[in-house]
Amino acid sequence: MCGIAGFTLPPGSPPDERLARFGPRLRRMTASLHHRGPDEQRALLLDGAALGHTRLSILDLSGGSQPMRDPATGLTVVFNGEIFNHMELRERLAHRGYPFRTRSDTEVILASFLSRGIDCVEGFVGQFAFALFDPRDGSLWLARDRAGVRPLYYALTPEGLCFASEAKAIFAAGWLPPRLDPAGVKQTAHLWAPLAPRTSFEGVQQLPPAHVARFDGVRLDARRYWDVDLSAGNVDRDLDEQEAVDRLGAALGEAVRLRLRADVPVAAYLSGGLDSSLICSIAQEQLGGTLGTFSVSFAQARYDEGEYQHEVAAALRTAHRSVRIEDREIGELLPAVVRHAEQVLLRSAPAPFLRLSRLVRDSGIKVVLTGEGADEIFWGYDLYKETAIRQFWARRPGSPHRPRLFQRMYPYLQLSKQSPEMLRQFFGLGLEEPGAFDFSHRIRWTNSGRVSRFFSAEFTERTRDCDPAAAVLDALPPRVLSWRPLARAQYLEMQTLLSGYLLSAQGDRMLMGNSVEGRFPFLDHRVIELAARLPPSLKLRVLDEKRVLKRLAAARVPQRVIQRPKLPYRAPIAEALTGPGSPAWARELLSRAAVDAVGVFDGAKVERLAQKLAARRAEPSEADNMAVIAAATTQLLARELLGPPADPPRAQLEAVRLHAEAR
Amino acid sequence: MDTRLKLRTYISETFFADGYSDQASFLKTGIIDSTGMMELVAFLESEFGVKVEDHELVPANLDSIENLVAFLGRRSAARPAAAAG
Repeated sequence: MCGIAGFTLPPGSPPDERLARFGPRLRRMTASLHHRGPDEQRALLLDGAALGHTRLSILDLSGGSQPMRDPATGLTVVFNGEIFNHMELRERLAHRGYPFRTRSDTEVILASFLSRGIDCVEGFVGQFAFALFDPRDGSLWLARDRAGVRPLYYALTPEGLCFASEAKAIFAAGWLPPRLDPAGVKQTAHLWAPLAPRTSFEGVQQLPPAHVARFDGVRLDARRYWDVDLSAGNVDRDLDEQEAVDRLGAALGEAVRLRLRADVPVAAYLSGGLDSSLICSIAQEQLGGTLGTFSVSFAQARYDEGEYQHEVAAALRTAHRSVRIEDREIGELLPAVVRHAEQVLLRSAPAPFLRLSRLVRDSGIKVVLTGEGADEIFWGYDLYKETAIRQFWARRPGSPHRPRLFQRMYPYLQLSKQSPEMLRQFFGLGLEEPGAFDFSHRIRWTNSGRVSRFFSAEFTERTRDCDPAAAVLDALPPRVLSWRPLARAQYLEMQTLLSGYLLSAQGDRMLMGNSVEGRFPFLDHRVIELAARLPPSLKLRVLDEKRVLKRLAAARVPQRVIQRPKLPYRAPIAEALTGPGSPAWARELLSRAAVDAVGVFDGAKVERLAQKLAARRAEPSEADNMAVIAAATTQLLARELLGPPADPPRAQLEAVRLHAEAR
Repeated sequence: MDTRLKLRTYISETFFADGYSDQASFLKTGIIDSTGMMELVAFLESEFGVKVEDHELVPANLDSIENLVAFLGRRSAARPAAAAG
């Protein structure tokens, strides 16, 4: 739930002076996050810090208002997210004498911090981003959950530091003019997202997942408080398959149980794949049959999984609702998608999620469970299989047979008719360096990097020294380099795509865009840690992925869903942005003059690309799809977020209850 | 327009690539991706009137300007002979 915003300010000024000087900034910041918390908006000016909060009420509907203060010390918190084990923590803290006044998890953060300082995050099972102001020493603390479910941005100001759930709130403060960060944009073109702490905007940083930070008035010191250990030494070698299935069943059951805690109904997303079906089945069992499920389906049959969604919903007897997306709608949704996502996109797949969260909201639901995260930690993605095959092949690079495995792996890529020599050209990239840190990701990053061919000459020159893969390597803890190839692949996947794109652009932002909170049982850190200890063959054996998960699902989910070939989640791009039914904004923003005016892409090339795709002479290639959506979303980013920020609507500004405390 | 120029024009207009040598591998240098290869084949079939058989979908025939020119040269040399046979 919720949005948070705030900044530090010089101490020692009386409340009215603070209200006059900093009140309007805090009000604008808070109001700009109205969509994240439409139920209540409050803001507090303290002696040394300003804290704003927009609330989506899910827990302790009457008592959980924020910012929340500890009366004895003045310690004050604004918090976005959930501490799922708050009941267990509260019991311990109350036993030690903390006088709780509410039933909220927010107060548990205050009590935990007073008990053990910022290390309290190590005891939290949750998805959270929070800021704590401690008037005893004037520190502002920032913290973010382990997987990066909840966002947290910050920027330096003339007065110190400001922070917020979304970059737009930082711009709303008025200190920093919104400008694109060229390196962040170039990183996105290769890695699908800027690499934390970098963002798409100059001067705006994000606190990386699993980090805490302290601002002392001058410097921000950040440190990592948790990491996944995927080393061979951490693997529980003697674990047999049945024992693994039992342990996973228990851990996932507990993860779902904690995530059903709420004072409002919790529903679930159902994609028609294994992961969400399993989560829905566990939730339905725990709820005793009252689960509601939601799906998005596509008018274009090649993207659609509606048939499987209905089969699972019927088998689990959930109250199911779905919404069907036409190509045209993707184009119409994109401006709002980019406004919320605040980054350049290489896929249109977030758009259907924005539509889906609207269906959820219109159905009166505020919280959904999702199956996100399983493909990363149980090695479900094709990327893992591809890496395994390429490693196998690299041991006998001359073998004509080994590359044939790719034909079995990608039947839908028309590869089956292609010769081993051709496969060698596709998949042989980097084969001579099986130990390279980016062995698993080099093909994907090279493919996405084709987008940069469409950059303007000036932008190419400006970003010449920015090497996205080198930046990933620089940020990598050295021990990761000694891990096995699939373990390295998982770490890279979690560092780049998971938190930077799937959980943000395609996750939090598309959910919160319609004031809906997502909860991710697979990303419970105890499930992540359990998966890391599993013997690799229980995750991926030859070409059979997520083995242990399939075994667990066997008794719960229709057999056809478990055995079906995995379809990557995709949505139309070229069809949605070019040609007869294309939206007016796309025709306008993809014109040569409009592209040149923004300066990131080359107007002439983009115009030719759009014309080529509009002619529909051939199936659009991956490279062309990625280039046209990257150009379109860059143009939208410029239109929606650059330039002087417009004030939030008057009603939303006035809705913020602003107040100043003496100390 | 000669074959080489025709191919270069097509590749620059379709795949937006320039500044590469006649010997550069399209796939390894990232000029054309796996789906783009199908577009190239469709172009060869419509523009040069050749039918590319499955067994001919190999880098030695298709994966650079030089290889394409040689492949098309062999095919046009073979056609009269085939017609005579």
